[in-house]
Order: sequence, then C-alpha cells, then structure tokens
Amino acid sequence: MNLTRDRVHSIGWMTVLLVCGAFSVALMLRVNAVKSQVAATEKRIVYLQRDIDFLQTEFQTRSNQQQLKTLNDVEFGYEAPRAEQYIEGERQLAALGKAPAPGAPEPIRFASAAVAAEEAESAGSRLLAMVSPVTGATAAAPAREEAERETSTDAEAKALARDAKDLSKRLARIELAGGAQ
Amino acid sequence: MASRAISSEAAFGRMAEAARVENAPRLAFSNPDPVRPTVPLSTGRHRLVNVRQRALVVAKWRALWVLCGFALLAICALVRLGFLGLTGGSSYSADIRSLLLPARGVIVDRNGSPLARDFRVYSLWFNPEAMTDGPPLVGQPQEVAEKLHAIFPDLDSAEVARKLASGRAGYLRRSILPEDANRVHAIGEPALQFPQETSRFYPQGSMAAHVLGFVDAGGNGKVGMEQVFDAHLKSEEGRAKGTALSIDVRVQGALEDELGRGMALSNAKGAAGVVLDVDTGEVLALASLPSFDPNKIDRDSTPNIFNRVTNQVYELGSTFKPITVAAALDAGTITDLGRRWPAAPLHVARFTIRDSHSMGTSLNVPETLMHSSNVVTAQIADELGGARMKKTMESLGMNERPRIELPARGFPIWPSGQWPRLRTMTVSYGHGIAVTPLHLAAAYAALVNGGIWRPTTLHKLEAGQVPEGRRVFTAATSARMRQLLRMIVSYGTGRKADAPGFRIGGKTGSAEKPGAGGYRRSSLIATFAAAFPMDHPRYVVIAMLDEPQGTQATSFQRTAAWNAAPVVSRVVPRIGPLLGIMPDETRDVDISDLKPLVPGEIKE
Repeated sequence: MNLTRDRVHSIGWMTVLLVCGAFSVALMLRVNAVKSQVAATEKRIVYLQRDIDFLQTEFQTRSNQQQLKTLNDVEFGYEAPRAEQYIEGERQLAALGKAPAPGAPEPIRFASAAVAAEEAESAGSRLLAMVSPVTGATAAAPAREEAERETSTDAEAKALARDAKDLSKRLARIELAGGAQ
Repeated sequence: MASRAISSEAAFGRMAEAARVENAPRLAFSNPDPVRPTVPLSTGRHRLVNVRQRALVVAKWRALWVLCGFALLAICALVRLGFLGLTGGSSYSADIRSLLLPARGVIVDRNGSPLARDFRVYSLWFNPEAMTDGPPLVGQPQEVAEKLHAIFPDLDSAEVARKLASGRAGYLRRSILPEDANRVHAIGEPALQFPQETSRFYPQGSMAAHVLGFVDAGGNGKVGMEQVFDAHLKSEEGRAKGTALSIDVRVQGALEDELGRGMALSNAKGAAGVVLDVDTGEVLALASLPSFDPNKIDRDSTPNIFNRVTNQVYELGSTFKPITVAAALDAGTITDLGRRWPAAPLHVARFTIRDSHSMGTSLNVPETLMHSSNVVTAQIADELGGARMKKTMESLGMNERPRIELPARGFPIWPSGQWPRLRTMTVSYGHGIAVTPLHLAAAYAALVNGGIWRPTTLHKLEAGQVPEGRRVFTAATSARMRQLLRMIVSYGTGRKADAPGFRIGGKTGSAEKPGAGGYRRSSLIATFAAAFPMDHPRYVVIAMLDEPQGTQATSFQRTAAWNAAPVVSRVVPRIGPLLGIMPDETRDVDISDLKPLVPGEIKE
C-alpha cells in the first residue's frame, strides 16, 4: 500500500468524520444522560409535590374550623371584637390624643426617670444595641447625651436610676431565658 | 513441449492484448494506475483523455452526492434544533406533570381555601394470587386475622378470617394509615397488599356539607355541588384548576357555630341559616343542622343529608310582614305611615285573626312591625288586595323552586288561582304559604338593596357576571323598609338581635307548625331575617330554628326573639369585619322622620 496524496486526503477526511462521529455520539450520550437526569429530578419534584399535598391536606384537616373552634373554646376564649375596639379613621385616632377638656376622664400618665450617665451607659450598651442604618449611631447615644445634660445628683433620681438599672437587668435575664429555650 | 507452451502463451498474450485495446475504457477502471496504462500510448491516447474526464465527472458527482447528504443532515439537525429550541422539548415532561393532576378537581371557597380535594390513601387488599404455588397465606387465616385485629381493633376478626379462607380477592379495609400499612407489611404475608387509591377528602369535615355533597364509591358526585359540577370536575379543565364557590369558609364556620350553639341552647330539632350578598345574590354561607360528614357517609348520617335551607318549605310567619308593608307602600295604599288601624281581633269568614298579646287599641305602620301585629298586617293586605299581593310574591320568586344550583330544591306551597280575601290576609303574615329559607333570604335582599330581586347562586361571580335582576320595589320603598327594619331591631321585637355598631335590621317570625287537625301551639318555626349594615345593606342573614323549646337559656320562651335573634346578634359581629364591615357606633340609618310616630317606644 503506497500513500498517495489522494489516499492521505481520504484517510484524513475519514478520520475527521470518525472523530466527529465519536464526538457527536459522546455528546448524544451526554445529552441523554442530562435529559434522564432532568426527568428523574422532575419525577422527584412530582413525588415531593405529592408529599407536600399530603402534608397540606393533613395540616388543613388538623387546622379545620371546627378544631380551631374547639381549641378556642377550651384554651383561649377569644370573642369577636366589639365596636369600641375599632377606630373609624385618623380623625378618631387623633381625638384620643386631644388636650383634656373640663369634665373629661383623667388621661393615663406614664412615669419616666432620668438615668445617670454611667448607669445609662451600662444599661444602654446592654439594652439598646440597635444601630441606625443611616447615621451609624446607636440608640443609646442620645440617651447618654440627655443624661449628661441633666447631671442631677438628687438622691431620688439616683434611686430611680437604680430601679431602672434593675429593670434592665431583669429584662436582660428574661431575654436570656427566652433565648436558652 | 516447453517451446510450444511458450509460443502458445505468447499467442494468448497477444490475443489478450488485442482484447484489452478494444475494451480499453472498461479496463481503465480496473487499472489501479491510469497514468501509466498497459495499453501503448500511441494507440489509446485520445481514449485515455476521455476515460480521465469521465472518471473526474463521476468523482465530482459522488462528491456532490455526499455534500447533498451532509447538507440534508445539517438541515435536519437545524430543523430539530429549531424545533427543540422553540418547543423546549416538553413533550415527555407533560405526562410526569399529569401525575400531579387530581382525578377529580379541587373545590375551593371564594378565597381559594380548599373545601374538597383528592387524597391518596392506602387500602388493604387481599390478593390470593400473590403466592404462585401453594396456599395463598403463609400462616393460618385465623392467625392472620388475629394479627390484623391487633392492628385495627375495630376489625371483625371472624369475618376477616372467613374472607382470607375463601381465597377470593377483595378489600379487607378501605383507607388505612401509612403506619398501619407498615405494620401490616411486617406481618409478612405477600397476599396482603395495600394499593394506593384516590379518594375524595373534605378537610373541613362536616362544614358546608350540604353545599358540597359527597362522592360515592363509584366516583360520582352526590347531593351538592359535587353532583352539579360532576362532569366539569372530571374534565381536563376542571382537574387542572380549582372550581370556586361563592361560599366563604370563615363565614360558613361562624354561621354553623352560632346556629349549633343556638340549637343546643333552645333544644331545637334542627336549624338552618343563610348569609347572602344582597347586591349579587351570591350565597356566602348556607348551613343546615344537624349536618353530616361527607368523609364518612353511614346509615346514621343519611337523614341529615336533607337540606333544610333549599329543600324544606316552612310557613315562615311574621317575617313576611315587611314584604306586605313594602308591597302596600309600593302600590300606594299606605301613603301615611302614621295612619292608625284598629288592633282588635279581626273576624273574616268564620275565622278570627288575633295577635299573640294585646298591643293597644290601634297601631300605625312602624308600631305594627315593631310589635308584629297580625291583625293590622292583615288589614293592610286587605286594602292592598289579593291580586297585587300575589304579584309581589310572584316577582319575589315565591311561586317557583328557589333559584340555586343545588339539585335538592323544594317547591313552595303556593296557593294558585285568584286569592280570596282570607288567603291574602294570612299570606300577609306568613301563613298559608310555605317557602324555603332561601326564598326568604332572596326576598329580604330585594327588600333592602334598592328593590332589585336577583337569583341566588353558589358560583363565585365576577364583577361583570352579576345578573341584572328584576325590580320588585321602588328604591324609595326600599329606603323606607331599611328604616322600618332597623326600628324593629332598635325598639321592637328584634332587640335581642342587635349588635352594637353593626346597624342590624330585621324581623322575627315565629310560626306554628301545621300538624294533624290544625296548627300545633307548641312546635314552632322560629326565624330571624336580618340585613346589615342598614345604612348601606350588604348582607342578609337568615337564622331559623326548628321546634325550639323554652329553656333556661331562652328564658323559657319559644319565640324567635329569644332564640333565633340572639344567633344573628352573635353571627354578625363575627362575620362583619371579615366581610369588610367594621362596627361603627357613630353611623346608622337615619330614622329621625319615623321616631315621632313611636314616641312611647323610644323612651323605654
């Protein structure tokens, strides 16, 4: 067998053809593999969807209206809210904050106490860890400034501050207990 | 010998040469090297050129064919590529997705909460052919039955043993839990199989059972919307998408709760209730108690499948009085609401119409409704006349079955022909005519919504689908009726139905049930027909109790004011905020022009 140009050419073409064929077969196999993978995944999705439907049905059954009613009767005793629990609109809401007129019921007052600087610091660092996303200042900072402005050494103010500190401690303890659970 | 042989060979060679020259073109193809032919050049030159040309042509043709083949393949590939690119090759994934399609479509409420859906359950099936040779069971039928009995305590082990011994395939039990199926599997009997089957499941249990109905063992819908929608729910479209009803689960639940409570407090035999949208005719809740559980249809619950709201007709009593008054206002026979009628018992054709108690010597229209006087209503109807009374009742649809999709609809007891005087009078206060509570709800909707009667429906209606309806009362009459109905609840017999801030208006009705030889004084139908909020009515609520008894909870009274009215006053605050009606004590329908007509009542 002697290798002429034509022969080399045709052998070259054949080789190219074979290589291309091999590649296309490999690609076809790969495509089919992915396809079957997709099919299997879809099948799994369908079965999972079925499971979800099953669980949804169970959830709906356990939370059906009659069950909830029984639970409410035994545990909570909630009732439909009464008319006075609704507010008609902004006007009615604003009316609640009106300045007391003669003959009006006594408004509910809230007590507040000035907190000493170092105590506010310790309390602030523990309680007010919220940081403003705009300025980067902690919520404790303004409270501290305020405390610095009113540097009252009054014994009563100190007692109040101590109580406030205790309160913050108590709150912290409750939060920890909640977190541990 | 040898020379001869050579010479003969030479001669053969010459002959062969001659033949070759003659057949040169043919031989040229078998010659591997056409450049150096065996033929002498001098003799075959021009022929050789010819041969080469032809060979070239053939080669070119072949190349062209191959090219065409490749081009065709490329085109095919491109077409396929384009097709896949366009369609995404989704043909095969469609049948996997179809696994998710339920065999029967889901029924949802108006907010999309499922009321009926398919549920795949295991059932216990005995297949004696599972073991190819030998007996169908590994153990003794009696032992296997005992083991099954240990798993399902309510299973009759003797019967199961008989079934297992018979060697016939069949269900041992339908719908078992997956963990029970695992325990049955652990028995180790190949003949006990648990195929997964689709069954219909109602997550809300007995709620709205009369609206939904149920699906029988053959997979056909029965009784309610399951029967109405049967073909649609089985169709491709119905399976793919949920079918929405006009029912609201939350409203339905509240209505059923409160009706059940009212029924228990008054020892009633049954109860019925409807909540209807006055502007569209959509039924938001429809309850008939005692109810049944569509998940479990058995002999005990079968009588409860009867629907009191759409199928049973009742004489609904005094709840008809507002309709009579509205008809009289419309016809112009009442021009002055302050006009007084004598309230003494009325004798008409050997029959005496009387009131439950004395209400004074004379009454005007608001007082008549507030005290529910039969005598004065009868006189108003008498002035109106039978023909006009009948026409109003006809236009309210009282002479036909209620307009609703449900298959079970009762035909009213409707006096046909010309109504005599007495008939007109009794119909005016709701006797001598028997309709379903749904008829009454539709009539009250027309009474308060501006006077338009619309057919009731269980389909969820879009804004454009609301039927036009027909005008029964004028808008002015309707506005007047809102005031009067509100006055009944504010100052009259309906006071127990009031809920602060919800501006309820309505009318009580306590009718004696007809029995053998006349009406029975002790068995009543207590109805309260209400609408709210009266300044802009949105919903009609009907509560009806069948044979309520006087109990401590109802202060030993049987009438509607003591049992049906409190049901309404408890239902409305529960459903109002859900339906977008916030209680507001600063609003109400304006009744200032009617207040002077009832001076004594308002002071109370």
